[in-house]
Amino acid sequence: MEEKTPNVISTRGLSKTFGNVAALKPLNLEVHRNSIYGFLGPNGAGKTTTIKLFLGLIRPTAGSATLFGMDSVEQSVEIRARIGYLPQEPHFYEHMTARQTLRFVARFFFKGPRETIEDRVSEMLELVDLAEKADRPIKTFSGGERQRLGIAQAQVNYPDLLILDEPAASLDPIGRRDVLEVMSRLRKYTTVFYSTHILDDVQKVSDTVAILNKGVLVAEGPIEELLAGSEGTTYLVHLKGDTESAVKLVQSQPWVSGVKTGSHGSEITLQVGVTDPQAAEAQLLKLLVNSPAVVTEFRLKQYELEDIFMQVVEGGQDVRK
Amino acid sequence: MSGNSEFMMVSESGWRRGLNNLLDNEFASWWKTRMWWVQCLIWTSIPAFILGNIIFSSKNFEFSEGIMFYSIFAGVFPAIGVIIIMQDALVGEKTTGTIAWVLSKPVARPAIILSKVVSNSVGVLTTMVVVPGIFTYLLLSVASKALLNPVPFIEAWGIFFLCHLFYLTFTLMLGAFFTRRGPVIGLALGLLFLQQYLIGLLPVFRYLLPWTLAIPLNNESEAIVPALLMGQPVHSYLPLVFVAAECVFFVLVCLWRFNRDEF
Repeated sequence: MEEKTPNVISTRGLSKTFGNVAALKPLNLEVHRNSIYGFLGPNGAGKTTTIKLFLGLIRPTAGSATLFGMDSVEQSVEIRARIGYLPQEPHFYEHMTARQTLRFVARFFFKGPRETIEDRVSEMLELVDLAEKADRPIKTFSGGERQRLGIAQAQVNYPDLLILDEPAASLDPIGRRDVLEVMSRLRKYTTVFYSTHILDDVQKVSDTVAILNKGVLVAEGPIEELLAGSEGTTYLVHLKGDTESAVKLVQSQPWVSGVKTGSHGSEITLQVGVTDPQAAEAQLLKLLVNSPAVVTEFRLKQYELEDIFMQVVEGGQDVRK
Repeated sequence: MSGNSEFMMVSESGWRRGLNNLLDNEFASWWKTRMWWVQCLIWTSIPAFILGNIIFSSKNFEFSEGIMFYSIFAGVFPAIGVIIIMQDALVGEKTTGTIAWVLSKPVARPAIILSKVVSNSVGVLTTMVVVPGIFTYLLLSVASKALLNPVPFIEAWGIFFLCHLFYLTFTLMLGAFFTRRGPVIGLALGLLFLQQYLIGLLPVFRYLLPWTLAIPLNNESEAIVPALLMGQPVHSYLPLVFVAAECVFFVLVCLWRFNRDEF
């Protein structure tokens, strides 16, 4: 039975092994209703394996996944009735036209009325700008057109959960922007779970991010928290003049966890890690202004998602929130 | 689902979920493409041409000669066509990825297999058995200068269909086990052509394999179709029972394997 839960997706120790290869190591995830959940990872990280487990296309070796409170193995068909899915490389029946494809998909969900189904199909074709090519066989479509058709077919049933596997991978910049707009617009009605390696897109639209590396979840959390830094709050300070005594002063504070220094022309840069953000906010700038050094720049360090990604993927660091 | 209150939702459930839509799609691939008339043309024109040649070029046409040709041709050659069509039914969709896409929709796995069995069976029955059978019946009636009793012919079409259903379900079952076309078509054609030797090695196979449904081993009474069409006693109806049971068995194995498959 479906549970009343704020989570659309919930996994407990979900894992998958192919032969001797552990494609996904025990995964614990929670995806909240109406969130846009970015699922990141390098190639072979296990993103598509996870999605296939959600859809019941493959079976877990251990653990479980529940979607809408239903088990992904036992109630797979009921789950798929509420999902829209765009595969990484969409494959459709080549002899069908775009309109026939959308009609075919719609009829897995709706048996009528015919006019309403046709209206929905036309609406989806308009949405992805394929109305003029609606009656051409898919075998004549370009990669981008297939991708757009994939996005349309994933939405035709008004899904409660939209799972997109690399939705913008084969799109040009305008196509990518359109996909991101569609995702943002859909947030009101649905939950979006999407995998990607385009970090810029994730930063633009996601509210929650997970990073998977070699089958292991190495980072997860609201995007603001991840971007705030995995090493706690860090301040970035540029100083010139008598910087040595200023550095010593900062280092002596009990709420400072570490200071990294570097040079930047005639200035030095400090990255000040703090253990008590409130104390730092109240005192750090005052300390520096009152020191013999001249403060030329002072700000809270904002990590780019790429920093976090490279840190956890290359450095193997676990920054789960 | 938001925004779908104007729609009538699909009510199929369990193993039937998605079956109607899949059947429509599979039937469309037979009847809304050139597939049906191409198959009709092949399996009607070749025997009609050869049989017509036998009938009209021979001064003393023997009815039994025409029946033997019809039994052998209709028992073997369309089976090759069935194997060629069916070897792609599952493997083709696995390799292109369309099966994974379809399975991402609310579709029960048995519905996929059953839609392929039903639609292809109807296609084979119509284009490879009934249409060529009607032409052959008319041709033999013309050659006999009288309208022949249609009942034995209708019975013969049923047996030809069972024979082709054997290869259809066998090839589909192989498709559930393999991801490449080679082993599927190789094993299916291998069985088709090697069964006469298997029967020679182990005579019990004459009851288990479809060969003797249409093709005699030594004399025509040993095969069911020529015996029926020539009004002779049938050696044994057991092959009909066993072949029918094997068709069911192949479908069940196919369902079991496909249910466990990962995409």
